[in-house]
Amino acid sequence: MTQQPWLTKYPDGVNSQLAPIAFAHLPALLRAASSTYATTIAFTQCMPNGMNGSLTYKQVDELSDDFAVYLREVIGLKFGERVAVQMPNCLSYPIVAFGVLKAGCVLVNTNPLYTAKEMIHQFSDAQASALVIIDMFADRLPEVLKKTNIENVITVKISEFFPPVVGGVIRMVQKVWNRALPKITIAHTRFNQALSEGKAHAKRNQVLDYVNQVNGETVAALQYTGGTTGVSKGAMLTHKNLVANTLQMMQMVDKYIRLGKETILTALPLYHIFAFTVNLLGFYHVGGRNIVIPNPRPPSNLKRAFENYQITWVSGVNTLYNALLKERWFLDGPPRNLSASVAGGMALHQSVATDWERVTNSPLVEGFGLTESSPVLTFNPLGGNAKPGAIGIPLPSTDIRIVDESGQPVAIGESGELIASGPQIMLGYWNNPTESAATIKAGWLYTGDIAQMDHDGYFKIVDRKKDVILVSGFNVYPNEIEEEIAKLPTVKEVGVIGLPDENTGERVCAYIVAASGSLTSAQVIEHCEKSLARYKLPKSIVIVNELPKSPIGKILRRELRSEAINKLANNNQKGA
Amino acid sequence: MKISSMLLQAQAQVSEQDVVTPFEEVLLVVMVFVIMFGLGAGLTPRDFRQALRRPWGLIIGWVTQFGIMPILAYLLIITFLFQLPREYAIPVAIGAMIMGSVPAGTTSNIFTYFSKGNLALSVIMTTNSTLWAILMTPLALFFYLGLILPEGAAAQQIPPRNIIVTLVILLIPVVLGMLLRKFSANIGAVLELLGGFFGVFFILFLLSTWVPRNWNLLASTPWQTYLVAIGLGLFGITIAYLLTRGFKLHPMNARTIALETGIQNGPLAIAIVLLNFSGDPRIGLVLIVPALYSLFIVLVSTAVTFWFRRANLAEEQKIPSLL
Repeated sequence: MTQQPWLTKYPDGVNSQLAPIAFAHLPALLRAASSTYATTIAFTQCMPNGMNGSLTYKQVDELSDDFAVYLREVIGLKFGERVAVQMPNCLSYPIVAFGVLKAGCVLVNTNPLYTAKEMIHQFSDAQASALVIIDMFADRLPEVLKKTNIENVITVKISEFFPPVVGGVIRMVQKVWNRALPKITIAHTRFNQALSEGKAHAKRNQVLDYVNQVNGETVAALQYTGGTTGVSKGAMLTHKNLVANTLQMMQMVDKYIRLGKETILTALPLYHIFAFTVNLLGFYHVGGRNIVIPNPRPPSNLKRAFENYQITWVSGVNTLYNALLKERWFLDGPPRNLSASVAGGMALHQSVATDWERVTNSPLVEGFGLTESSPVLTFNPLGGNAKPGAIGIPLPSTDIRIVDESGQPVAIGESGELIASGPQIMLGYWNNPTESAATIKAGWLYTGDIAQMDHDGYFKIVDRKKDVILVSGFNVYPNEIEEEIAKLPTVKEVGVIGLPDENTGERVCAYIVAASGSLTSAQVIEHCEKSLARYKLPKSIVIVNELPKSPIGKILRRELRSEAINKLANNNQKGA
Repeated sequence: MKISSMLLQAQAQVSEQDVVTPFEEVLLVVMVFVIMFGLGAGLTPRDFRQALRRPWGLIIGWVTQFGIMPILAYLLIITFLFQLPREYAIPVAIGAMIMGSVPAGTTSNIFTYFSKGNLALSVIMTTNSTLWAILMTPLALFFYLGLILPEGAAAQQIPPRNIIVTLVILLIPVVLGMLLRKFSANIGAVLELLGGFFGVFFILFLLSTWVPRNWNLLASTPWQTYLVAIGLGLFGITIAYLLTRGFKLHPMNARTIALETGIQNGPLAIAIVLLNFSGDPRIGLVLIVPALYSLFIVLVSTAVTFWFRRANLAEEQKIPSLL
């Protein structure tokens, strides 16, 4: 018998099972919100200097209808064709994404900072036939289009839907001052042109016709991820997956949501599954207002958003919270209307969570998930039941087990691989049955994360399976060491990896970015000795200027490790 | 005494017109008004509350403004200026002393903005030092001129009109800008951008109109006078910056106080000269340092601003690409 001790831990009024889903697909969920909250502001894009533009639910609904018609009628895409979308957070994003979904096409979210090579790989793998791209990055297209099947390119402006004068000023600054608008040499359609062509072709109930072809099992998005093995592949997320995860997540925080009244800061990129599901879909569903930030770096870019809007929710990653807590303006005037903040994407450091709660006087709780699970699997209950350092309890209608190498559940408190099942688990990887079969077995998603469950049914991530360091046969979990080192106030960031060692098999190596100049290896060792077993102590400590990171700010241990190994190899050659 | 008479001849011709024409004076007031309107549109009441909540900056700023600047002027005068013949050095020294005793000027706010300093603190400091100047400037002048002048000091009057103008062109546009921003963040942001644009234009305007007209003055001025006129601003900024950093003030506030201290209210100094020395044959010499200072402070502040901006960029948090 498997144990589900979390079933009794849901906050009052939260059912452990997801209520029957009233929406057959995403367009139904979107349409319901659009008609309920028609005149409410759905999205506000806030630039670093406070310039802003907004769209109401009704506008988003109508414009995304126009775009759906454009895709199907004007450029002739068919049901299920892939549309790549590559832009930072801006007002165009929801219109494009919702338009693609309403057209019955498949959304392929793409990081706008991708190099031509990465774009080619992703677009050809997804067999995308259309691309919606921000004009700032269109200079890579001649190279990319040659090697992919993309036939239609639609370009959007960062200032799309801004008031005319303000939009004009932004445009001018981009062009003259930043020189950020490359000349586009390939055939393309401007977004506003596409929308008006779509509007011109629209017939009554046309979008309804597209939507009627969609059902829960229809793939809504190909969300690319390195996954557990590192090769980039597209997770097929269905309409049901995304609808379910949106509702699961919102059911979990239901009591803290005032319908039609929340304002959420969307500083994380919407092309990433975390912000896509939680901010874009989740808060759209409850009538919230998304404050979308095109570029949150440096963190001072968020100052005006916090000054000008009464933000009630924030979603972010550890890196973002940590960065904000180091900003003087933020500490001087922390947001006063926060209900709660949500952390995901990477381990939330306990010190960051505590500081955030002290400064904003509202909880910061951690959830956990993977691209393959749309993404949220677990979340800490709000209202005092969050456990520090834990990723929380499974979302309603989600089952989670901790299993050993042979797939058998381990005892409570023991470490093992976290596996999950529920309505949010992806269909599989696009055109990749081998990887799919290795990842989803008998309906269970094998996450590759090593975790433990306590007696209350709260889960705790111990580490990535691949990242575990084996020192003389002992498992060392880099997270634990990183967490310990990060407690030093002189440490800004730390990444811990294992490197080959003659005597112990592997040894622990720490790469540290210092917060001030005075940090020495001896201090780190002395600090670690107080709380870590001998075999866990870092054998080498390297002070570096920066650490390799993923787009959402996760420290990439794999890259750190390959860099270190290359360096070792070079040194050996020199030595020989 | 050939050299000294040449000096006197070449330099005594400096008049009010060389420093600033009435048309320019009006133009400058209007420009500062417009610029502060724009820059004010970037501020919120919270910024001012925060600046007032940490009065240390304000207190240190007061000390550097009315304590250090006059001493600095005095030391520069006795060390360098007094190497020159007395009949030249004394009137020039009076001008230098006035320059060192006046409060901060509105230009400091513009440079603070470009230096990524604390604009709210800068506005409060300028207001504060301008009000205090009614008492402190005559006091400092009375004390130091007493040390410098062989005949002892007479009380110097402070023209109230300039005090009022300074406050008006500073506070009214800032408040208007803030109100407009509250009404619409978009209007605020556009105004701020325009304010910054005009600010750059303003600095270039000051430089480009000043140099050609005062070429003669520049060519005939001995190096000791240059050193006093340039050193007052440059050393004032440096000392105040080192001091505030020593007190562990936030770099943003340190930059603000440094600029606030070093940048003096040039028009006020000139007005004081005109009020107290009209009809005095030495007035041309008294005006030399205020005139030179007004030119070089723009150059010095521009250079310092570039340096501050680089320092700010280095301090900025590097977080990974989240775009």
